[in-house]
Amino acid sequence: MAVAVLLLTGWLLPLRLNAADVSVSAELSRPQISQGEMAELQIKVSGAQQADVPQQIQADGLQIRLTGQSTQFQMVNFKVSSSVVYSYIVMPLRTGSFIIPGASITADGRQFRTPELSFKVDDAKAQSVDPSAGPPQSSQGIQPPGIPMPGFQQQRARPAQQRPDEGHLAFGEINCTKKTLYAGEMTPVEIRYYFDARYPVQVRGRVDFGCEGILVERFPDPKQTREDRDGITYNVLTFHSLLSAVKPGSLDVAPAKLDCEIEMPGALPPGFDDPVFRQLMGGQAGLSQQKQVTVKTSGLHLEVLPLPKEGRPESFAGAVGQFDIDSIVSNPHPTAGDPANLVVKIGGRGNFKGMGAPVLTQSEGWRSYPPSDKFDSSDELSYTGVKSFDFTLIAQQPQKESPGCEFSYFDPITAKYVSLTSTPLPLVASPGGPSPAVSGAATSSPTPIPSSGQKLAKNAPLKEGQPLSGITLRSWTTPMQRSEFLIATLAMLVATAALAGILAYWKIQSQGGTIASRRRKHIAELRSLLTGGTVDAGSSYEAALEYAKLVLPPSEKRDALISGLTERRDLLKYGSGGLLPLPAIEHRKLLESLELTTTKAP
Amino acid sequence: MIKRIFPRIFTVSLLLAVPVVVSLHAGLSEDFASANANLASGHADEALSTYKTLLTYPEFKTSGSAEIWYNRGLAEMQTGDAVAASLSFRRALLLDPALAPARMELAKTLGSLGIPVPTGWRERTMQSIHPETLIVTGAVIGWIGALGLIVLLFQASRKKELIMLPLILIFVGHGTSVLGTMADQRRTARHQAVLTAKEAVTLRATPADSATESGTIEPGTLISILSRNGAWWYVSTGTRSGALQGWIPSNAATPLLSSSKGSS
Repeated sequence: MAVAVLLLTGWLLPLRLNAADVSVSAELSRPQISQGEMAELQIKVSGAQQADVPQQIQADGLQIRLTGQSTQFQMVNFKVSSSVVYSYIVMPLRTGSFIIPGASITADGRQFRTPELSFKVDDAKAQSVDPSAGPPQSSQGIQPPGIPMPGFQQQRARPAQQRPDEGHLAFGEINCTKKTLYAGEMTPVEIRYYFDARYPVQVRGRVDFGCEGILVERFPDPKQTREDRDGITYNVLTFHSLLSAVKPGSLDVAPAKLDCEIEMPGALPPGFDDPVFRQLMGGQAGLSQQKQVTVKTSGLHLEVLPLPKEGRPESFAGAVGQFDIDSIVSNPHPTAGDPANLVVKIGGRGNFKGMGAPVLTQSEGWRSYPPSDKFDSSDELSYTGVKSFDFTLIAQQPQKESPGCEFSYFDPITAKYVSLTSTPLPLVASPGGPSPAVSGAATSSPTPIPSSGQKLAKNAPLKEGQPLSGITLRSWTTPMQRSEFLIATLAMLVATAALAGILAYWKIQSQGGTIASRRRKHIAELRSLLTGGTVDAGSSYEAALEYAKLVLPPSEKRDALISGLTERRDLLKYGSGGLLPLPAIEHRKLLESLELTTTKAP
Repeated sequence: MIKRIFPRIFTVSLLLAVPVVVSLHAGLSEDFASANANLASGHADEALSTYKTLLTYPEFKTSGSAEIWYNRGLAEMQTGDAVAASLSFRRALLLDPALAPARMELAKTLGSLGIPVPTGWRERTMQSIHPETLIVTGAVIGWIGALGLIVLLFQASRKKELIMLPLILIFVGHGTSVLGTMADQRRTARHQAVLTAKEAVTLRATPADSATESGTIEPGTLISILSRNGAWWYVSTGTRSGALQGWIPSNAATPLLSSSKGSS
């Protein structure tokens, strides 16, 4: 799944690459060649997928022609960049030193110019006898006489076309400044991954580092730099983090691993391993293959020392590092009965996540609660910063100053415990009304106070290690796992459905009922009208016509009847007698034709 | 008629959703006070014995008391059993995640055992608000939204602004309810246990004493039970990629939720 997401991301990411900064660079495959060889000039446009480049670059004594282009996408730790590389063949026409002028490039609507490059062409014979003339592979570039296009031999010698030494393709290093540390002590660790800059790399996943007994903080985004080593340029990903050991002893931490995929030049099929074919491929590694690589650092051996028991202060609560203390009272004049807040700030560097709260001193006459804490980090690793502990204090008797505070930590540099104290601060507070919790604490015989758990926790005298009084029963299961919640949910569903049904019924009723019921009602009215005989002849035929249309089943007889009724109605309506009562005989016949019986004597 | 009945159904439904408060056993409060007094006066063994007895009372068959578990943890700490204390504090926090003293004592206990204190989003959320409150309040808001939507659809004009309000209530309310359930550690506690062996336990690749070792777990560690095979459990120390997994004897750990919580 994760791989699929990564791949999808890889396909989608070009859509947002327009926003990236565009930069242009130019690089020669070799700054110096022998006469008869050719070099390759690559102009790389990063941050764009297309650019306007010249087909030829004019340089005296050189022939520089565009041979092809390739687009590369790189994803390093989910950060994607694209680049398009334009390849030129540089063919010397004579020996000597040359300056390849800058080329004008248009990309992303802007003009760029590549830097000028120095290029030297030596005499072939002189080159061949010079033992210090370049790296070993340059010997491959020595051309046997009689080859018409010696430059292709150089193509074979290009790094991109070689099978690279995989040991130098990518490797990792780990640097931990401290190899001996105390349990709980945090120490920075730096992990660097080197990738040969000539090959695009896609990082798959995150750094896998750690083992039982150590804690490694989450790795922030790495820094990307370039570095030359042994003549090879590497892209370097540097990860910084913190590690701390949790148990004493010797620890062998496994190498930090990073999975990635390196695009490597592949071998051309038999019969195609030909300079001309390579040239047709645009001078690039036209056939490349993705190589899955797990880049590893070396292992790390740590000696973890236990925190000494001697001299451990009572207020020590796990802090290891170097710290200082400061305290303030946020509201020095609370109204009677209201709480005051003492904020104790512990600053410095160390294991802020693992440190416990400072201990209040001189707290007689105060009721205090466990402090809330907040950490403001001053670096992305949370190694340095200030942690604030906010104590809520309620005066049990008139007070003129706050409690003091003591905080102890272990300093791994001096290997000693250090206790910091903050002196009481001016604070005027007085108690409010009598409190049951206070009276319970004063008698030192805990009295159960049935109340809600939250209320209990806040009302209880929370001196460290003192048992809680009061019992609150709570379920071991979540509401959604309990039958009463499910029953209530079902009840609500039924209630909602019932409400919807009732409201729908009311709405239908207010509109005179359903269509069928309205039809039935209308038919009954027509029947009553027809059988009653109380209306005039025109209205009777009008009603009869409508009744026939509504009630009688479709048939020829019905059609004939409707036709006759229509004719008679029109005669009465537009002729004479329409307003007179219908004769009894005609009324009876009309009812018979409609298969109705009269309810009133004619 | 309907207008009178419906509010009653609604009220009864809500009452059913809140935790049922069971009337306490007559001697429970006295025994609890006695145990607390013992603990306060330094007689931790007697206090621990009473707390264990208290937890076998029928009141605690389906429910638990965070206070009793917390006090029991204190007693276990005083008797030097930090591993058992960590389990008791964890159970107290399971019942009442906002119980700050239990969180502090658990942190201290785990620190003494060399185990990192859990500091995930669940813990931070639950320190502020009890999951039960989130779930029930969210459900109530959601259902109010649902009923309001029905009424608006049938009775009021179908203006978009009016319809949006109950829709928002439905999504926010039930979303909060789901969030509360996700954050509620009781949801997953059934498959969790605390390593209560006296010494570190070796993880095995297969459920056999002679199987290959794949690591060790320190006492007091919270583990997830992934599978059970007779007297062996296949456990994991977490969900992260670096978590250890392997088989351990089931008697080396105690479930966070056991069928007889008072006895273990």
